[in-house]
Amino acid sequence: MTELRRTPRRWKVRSRLMITLVVGVLSAAVAAGALAQSAGKSGLIGKLEGPEVVTDPAKVPKTLKEAPQLAALVKAGKLPPVAERIGQDPLVIKPLHEIGKYGGTWRGGFTGPADFWNGFRCCSGPDHLLFWDYTGDKVTPNIAKGYEMQDGGRTLVLHLRRGMKWSDGKPFTADDFVFWFEDIYRNKDLIPTPSAAMAINGKQGVIEKVDTHTVRFKFPEPYFMLPDVLAGSTDLGGHAWRGYAGLGAYAPAHYLKQFHPKYVGQAELDKKVKEAKFDSWVRMFLFKNDWALNPELPVLSPWKTVTPINTPTWTLERNPYSVFVDTAGNQLPYIDRVVLTLGENLEVINLRAIAGEYDFQQRHLDLGKLPVFLENQARGGYKVYLDPGDYGGDMIIKFNLSYEADPEIAKWMNTADFRRALSLGIDRDQLNETFWLGTGTPSSVVPADGNKYNPGPQYRKLWATLDVKKANELLDKAGLAKKDAQGYRQRTDGKGRLRIEIMTLGGQFLQFTQIAEMIREQWKKIGIDLTVQEVERSLALKRTAANEQQLGAWNNDGSEHLFTFPLHVFPFEISGVSSSGPLYARWFHSAGTQGKEPPARLKELMEKFKKAYGVPEKERIELGKEVWKIAAEEVYIIGVIGMGPASMGVRVVKTNMGNIPSRQYNSPDGKTPTISRPVTFFWKK
Amino acid sequence: MLAYIGRRALLAIFTMWAISVLAFVIIQLPPGDYVTSYIAQMASMGSVVTDEEAQNLRIQYGLGQPIYVQYLKWVALIAQGNFGMSMEWRRPVTEVIGERLWLTVVVSVAALILTWVLALPIGVYSAVRQYSVGDYLATFVGFIGLAVPNFLLALVLLYLGFVLFNAHIGGLFSPEFQDAPWSAARVWDLLKHLPIPALILGLAGTAQQIRIMRANLLDELRKPYVVTARSKGLSETRVVLKYPVRVALNPFASTIGYTLPYIVSGSIIVSLVLGLPTVGPLLLKALIAQDMFLAGTIVLMLGMMTVIGTLISDVVLVWIDPRIRLEET
Repeated sequence: MTELRRTPRRWKVRSRLMITLVVGVLSAAVAAGALAQSAGKSGLIGKLEGPEVVTDPAKVPKTLKEAPQLAALVKAGKLPPVAERIGQDPLVIKPLHEIGKYGGTWRGGFTGPADFWNGFRCCSGPDHLLFWDYTGDKVTPNIAKGYEMQDGGRTLVLHLRRGMKWSDGKPFTADDFVFWFEDIYRNKDLIPTPSAAMAINGKQGVIEKVDTHTVRFKFPEPYFMLPDVLAGSTDLGGHAWRGYAGLGAYAPAHYLKQFHPKYVGQAELDKKVKEAKFDSWVRMFLFKNDWALNPELPVLSPWKTVTPINTPTWTLERNPYSVFVDTAGNQLPYIDRVVLTLGENLEVINLRAIAGEYDFQQRHLDLGKLPVFLENQARGGYKVYLDPGDYGGDMIIKFNLSYEADPEIAKWMNTADFRRALSLGIDRDQLNETFWLGTGTPSSVVPADGNKYNPGPQYRKLWATLDVKKANELLDKAGLAKKDAQGYRQRTDGKGRLRIEIMTLGGQFLQFTQIAEMIREQWKKIGIDLTVQEVERSLALKRTAANEQQLGAWNNDGSEHLFTFPLHVFPFEISGVSSSGPLYARWFHSAGTQGKEPPARLKELMEKFKKAYGVPEKERIELGKEVWKIAAEEVYIIGVIGMGPASMGVRVVKTNMGNIPSRQYNSPDGKTPTISRPVTFFWKK
Repeated sequence: MLAYIGRRALLAIFTMWAISVLAFVIIQLPPGDYVTSYIAQMASMGSVVTDEEAQNLRIQYGLGQPIYVQYLKWVALIAQGNFGMSMEWRRPVTEVIGERLWLTVVVSVAALILTWVLALPIGVYSAVRQYSVGDYLATFVGFIGLAVPNFLLALVLLYLGFVLFNAHIGGLFSPEFQDAPWSAARVWDLLKHLPIPALILGLAGTAQQIRIMRANLLDELRKPYVVTARSKGLSETRVVLKYPVRVALNPFASTIGYTLPYIVSGSIIVSLVLGLPTVGPLLLKALIAQDMFLAGTIVLMLGMMTVIGTLISDVVLVWIDPRIRLEET
């Protein structure tokens, strides 16, 4: 009997020793791992670089060369010679590192027919009329070889490239713009509601032909923002990106006329519609104009869809009439084919990337799996890059400023000090380490320091540090000093504890729900009781539109280009997964006739924003800075972690691919990696 | 017999109609519609759907109309043999399902065959050698297959396959054969990829079948006629196989009915994880996106499979079990 009792004590000491040993070994391992990781991470984010577009007409190469298989076709008489195919004004791009070699296939993965952004980002050219340079800052000529603003900003004249052709050999001229404007944009069946991008201060503009290679956009008031709009991912952003919605600013007239009632006659069109099993000519027309779905559609992009996106393999092949060339006169792209394979599940895509089955993949890769990616680099033959975005919020929390359902909560939503205090109560470093593996930057909502609209370095940390003492002070002074037995603040209307609710979506590239749970723990210290509600996407949309959401978690990617992507800066979206004030957004869009009028400072922000579209660039930059200033000071949206690579910033590239930049400008406006001109990527063999 | 089948067929048609109504209504129940789902999907990919575009889409897809109008439109289309256009895939529904249907059948049948080929002999052995080591081992393995969630098993096997064998991740075909026309080489490639999916899909069902077989057979083996047969000098194999096993097969015949649709719908998550181009993931995505016609057609198809399957199993039961035949007459 006594023996039994003695062993427990010995066991106690032994087991305690064992536990301490195990914990010690484990923490050493973790520390070593973390050390190795941080050392590795500093090598993951490179220097921003990219190819340049050569605009000097004197530097256009005199002789043009082409890919061997195209040369063979020319010899066999099946294709016209390359100089004829490209025309007199090729789009010259200086590759980042070296002149490349022809050949090879680029493999990637996509998740299904809704993943057309995948194709836009890799292979659409870009086929915008104008586009961003690799810094994302300047607008450079693209499909249009030059532009001028005339008449005080009311008119934009675009010069097209002489001899440029669609992918089926037919000429690309100003007629394609007129066809788009007159027969597509103005057709009420195809486009029931006109686009805000074609309007300034609510007034629509027109497109006119000047001559075969010159087009004019005319507006009733100055629209200095137009070049940015043409370069960005907007309704006028080119055929590949917007054709499926009937937008884009131009369209292949010679091909689409056969599907349009004005040119074919309604009866015959109806017959065609029935044969093709569509239910209306509108749906058939938009299908035929879809870059990702219709292999017969003539395009301007360097690669052309061969097997469409609604099949298990989305294949794109080189366009023999591609107008892109390098500085030595080689017709681009170098790479012959792009093959995207279907992985309906994100886990499968990540696993395939880890296994090295993709050559260049930037989309759908999970930052949380970074250690596994790094582990398998040698085995998979690839290198991992991180491209942090330039926007201030990989994760933001929006206050619904126009919330009405609960007057007490609505009052606090609209009290600036309440919002500031909540922002001061977040431990951003802890979140950064846990969810971003330390790769993000704790920040307010303002964009990166190098961004032209950034209001100044002091705004980076404005109301965006951890200061529990100040937060408690602010809340006490605002009138929430009374706390209940558990330390949570009480409502001022006597209805008990002050509870606020945050709505999150699951299954996104960032674990918003888990992050919100961590913030809930952090806000206990300032006496705020937060409920985290994870909802399904459609429900989120419905709740937001019905003005039922209190707080919402999302990101503000795109806001580095403030004027083309304002939706996560102030209440701009009426229907979105999270909004900072649907009623105010309605007021904004209806020019004051619907919705609710915003408070003074928010109105000021909206007015500055609207004004910026119609003023020259220098003034616009000042207005942009003021918009961000107000946003940062009022904390309409809490910036949590910014400049992180969580949203499409994890890049995996095979080591023998050439002209790969060490860091790219990660932006939806830049359609990254298109901003790095993938036409210049090649296989080093 | 013929009257019986005729009556059942009539009931089947009525059941199908009820299924179609229910399917349509339930698919519409979640808040929002295809366009809201599309907007949310775009938002999570970092894209933006302007309010104008959302409005335009709603007008074009006719989503503003009341639900019974949409349902009647669908029924009218079906009557013409056209199952409508999938909003997500932008192709006719028949095309979208069609190419996946064959593969689903192949995978399901492979899983089914694997299940039976494994379960029946093991079940018989378990019953005959009750409480032996073999019996316990078989039961143990079966229960593991039942307890481990099959998508977890799928992920583990995928990862092991990559780490140990450098196997191609997921899918039913190697990349070269994905879109190639059917050929002997493609069939062989398919057969090479089939074992893992069939194994995972079949494993859970195996445990169930083993236990059922075992229990039924044990019941039968204790019956007097077995003792009589043995005492009359029949060999042990004949005694077991000719009569008791045939009776124990009874429940299998009656479960054929829901086995096929179960394998289609029960395999959704495994198919998603393994990247199999089958109907399961298609249905899941269609439901989430509220792609009315596609989801409705697939549910209708599953319903039809169940109804026909039940009819078949009733007929098979009548055929193999003489007791039922006697009662009928």
